[in-house]
Amino acid sequence: MKHVAGKPKILPITGAGAMAQAMRQINPDVVAAFPITPSTQIVEDFSQFVADGKVDTEFVTVESEHSAMSACIGASAAGGRVMTATSSAGMAYMWELLYVAASMRQPVLMSLVNRALTGPINIHCDHSDSMGARDSGWLQIYSENNQEAYDNLVMAARIAEHDDVRLPIMICQDGFIISHSIQTMQIEDDAAVKAFVGAHKPYHPILDTKNPVTWGALDLQDYYIEHKRGQEQGMKNALRVIEEVSVDFAKKFGRKYNLFETYRIEDAEIVMVAIGSAAGEIKEVIDELRTKGEKVGLLKIRSFRPFPYAQIAKALSHAQIITVLDRSASFGAHGPLFVEITTSVYNYCDNRPLLLSHTYGLGGRELSMQMIEHVFAESRICLDKGEVNGRQGMWLNVRGD
Amino acid sequence: MNLKQKYALKKWQDLPLGGVILEAGNAADYETGTWRTWKPVTHRENCIQCLACWEYCPEDAIVLENGTGPDGKPRKFVVDVNYYHCKGCGLCVRECPVNKEGVVQALGFVRDEV
Repeated sequence: MKHVAGKPKILPITGAGAMAQAMRQINPDVVAAFPITPSTQIVEDFSQFVADGKVDTEFVTVESEHSAMSACIGASAAGGRVMTATSSAGMAYMWELLYVAASMRQPVLMSLVNRALTGPINIHCDHSDSMGARDSGWLQIYSENNQEAYDNLVMAARIAEHDDVRLPIMICQDGFIISHSIQTMQIEDDAAVKAFVGAHKPYHPILDTKNPVTWGALDLQDYYIEHKRGQEQGMKNALRVIEEVSVDFAKKFGRKYNLFETYRIEDAEIVMVAIGSAAGEIKEVIDELRTKGEKVGLLKIRSFRPFPYAQIAKALSHAQIITVLDRSASFGAHGPLFVEITTSVYNYCDNRPLLLSHTYGLGGRELSMQMIEHVFAESRICLDKGEVNGRQGMWLNVRGD
Repeated sequence: MNLKQKYALKKWQDLPLGGVILEAGNAADYETGTWRTWKPVTHRENCIQCLACWEYCPEDAIVLENGTGPDGKPRKFVVDVNYYHCKGCGLCVRECPVNKEGVVQALGFVRDEV
């Protein structure tokens, strides 16, 4: 099929490949990245675009992720639109700089491919990398499939660079499950994406030599907390901005997104809450269970930072049991998503449902449809008994439990 | 507007984002003199005007003035210490070659009583 200029292209592509395409269309001023599995293809494809002259980007081949994020912050403070991609240990190596990017209000755009953190060493999907960075001050948007990951990255600059936000953003997709799976999806027209993303508006850039400024100065007891308060406001404003940009995206490209997605929850007694690719299988199981009369539904997180507490509480205000699936562990505590959902339900609405926490999928362990059915069945037992005791905090699909 | 008014503590809403400092060179307004517990004192009668103190001072707190040298050429002379910036580190006192000879002092170092 011949591509017609101005029309979107339908093509089979991996999640990582789709991210590279979005980066090509955004055509950032600077990309500094160090390839790491499973995000490698993003950097690989993009460096090919640079070599082929398809983008104007200054591509910085750094020697580590610590340097990659440092270069990104510097380039962003200099006044450029900046992107990077990484995974797992790569982002862990950026750790110190993740906080610097956020506190310096540099809207760096990151394509994160979620992968387990070592150890034992593992390259497959879980959310321990980004969940560990949830307090770093980065916006975190999660994607269920290739199309969502691409769409989210196209929206990323408008959200992160918004005057009321000015915060770095990570667009997350599940390692291998999404990044290496070929799905048929729609890549929008280059010019249309360019028009949607718009021009980058620098904020007191270093390269404006007529107005010299200092970025990254020492900040002590007299001002540090005021700057942090401002940073929190950026996050608060982001809830509105994400919605606004998503509405505009829907007008332009037709695909609708919100802070989270709900699936058949209007009359659901049992609502499962999950993040990322698992949502696809869960929807399938819900359809199956619905034919048997079981009132089940799904709430899929899109924006984890900022976390839309009030909106989620409203959406969950009729659920009788909420079963949360965490794809990362907070050892000695419940999973990060469970903690947020509990906070949401118990502080932002009057509904007092049962709340059941489950950990699954660490290091790429599969989540089968049978397993999801099993969790729904467990949830039903808890609901009938009126308590979750003994089942709280179970790990799924682990030999020995 | 005096420095106290200029640097009156602001609310978070009134700050530029990310701790960016919009005024170049305003570190000179920062009073580091309050950090001091000891202070250097010039004894100009003993000073050989080698400018070693000025060279070593990390705060640029040695005050110079223009003058004419014995050769008739214009040069700089040490006059005083700027106590607004002097942290009292004592580097100038230690590096002073007159002090090193140990007969007289060109730079004394005394307790800075508050």
